[in-house]
Amino acid sequence: MAKTFHLTIARVGETVFDGEALSVHLPGAEGGFTVLAHHEAFVSELKEGEAKVETAEGEKRTVPIAHGGIAEVSGNQATVLL
Amino acid sequence: MALKDIKVKIEATKRMHTVTRAMEAVSAVKMRKTQQAAFDGRPYARAALSILARLSGTHDIGRHALSNVREVKKTALVVITSDKGLAGALNSGVVKRAAERAQAGDAIYAYGKKGYEYFSRRGYDVKKYVENKRDDVPLSVMEELARELSDGFMRGEYDEVVVAYSNFQSTFEQSPTLRTLLPLSIENVRALVEDIRPAKGKWSDNTDVAAPASYETESVGNDILDFLVPRLAAVSLYHMLLESKASEHSARMVAMKSASDKSKEVARDLTRVYNKIRQAAITREVSEIVGGREVLAI
Repeated sequence: MAKTFHLTIARVGETVFDGEALSVHLPGAEGGFTVLAHHEAFVSELKEGEAKVETAEGEKRTVPIAHGGIAEVSGNQATVLL
Repeated sequence: MALKDIKVKIEATKRMHTVTRAMEAVSAVKMRKTQQAAFDGRPYARAALSILARLSGTHDIGRHALSNVREVKKTALVVITSDKGLAGALNSGVVKRAAERAQAGDAIYAYGKKGYEYFSRRGYDVKKYVENKRDDVPLSVMEELARELSDGFMRGEYDEVVVAYSNFQSTFEQSPTLRTLLPLSIENVRALVEDIRPAKGKWSDNTDVAAPASYETESVGNDILDFLVPRLAAVSLYHMLLESKASEHSARMVAMKSASDKSKEVARDLTRVYNKIRQAAITREVSEIVGGREVLAI
């Protein structure tokens, strides 16, 4: 089975995504990057664009990022605040 | 009391009962909405806090301009109250806590009419007054207010920003609370987040993920804090507003419920008095007629 990690994408007043994911692609302030399971501890600012999520079930989802945000990865979980 | 006066009073009480009952129903709906909004916002604040807490291992938060602790000469006091009354002891509680803290010369930011009226009447320096009418306040309004406060803090106009608001605990319990917004410290935000922790359910666990020894950062260390710290200040402020809203509607619903119950009771008591007097009058009339007849029969 493919490795997954816990991903939370939250907006103020609303949790957009919260669950296991295979990968997420994010528009970092200094270029896009993809987070997979067991990524190293990492913090980055995000710019406008969209987050591409592949859930544990293999479903692909995109979440628009309107005003930038912040992504944090540590201990096999990723948190994206928009 | 004359019979007619009692009747008028019964009618008036019944009318009052309709009004309070309607207000109770309206507040109940608004309460549910605002409570939901307050709950929905919690995960974000928690996530932002835990990022900040984990970052504090590798980045010195104390060095950020908004976390700069210095001697307090002048305080900016943000008072979050409702615009409308009839909400029990809600506003007076918040205003009382704020007034205990306020010193002459402190700048007051009044969010809501009740706080504004109190402090402007007593000659405080009210820097800004914002109406608190809408229930669905966008975050941008609070961001603007937070920016204004942060700018004042960084320019050295204030050495501290304190917020007085009503913390929502349950429908029957709201506690007026004072909290330091700036200088922003992990302890302060943690206290806020812990207060908004739901009693049960998914977000109720308070386990902190262990901070990694070091972080790989995409941008220069301070940039992340430049993004996160002001954002956290705005989100904290936004939360306090949401809590106040939920408290306001809960307090009003409870106040209106007891007003409805009381008016019902008063109407019932008055009806009883009315019937008694009416019966006494009828009895008197009957005995007068009977007496009159007896006199004639002789």
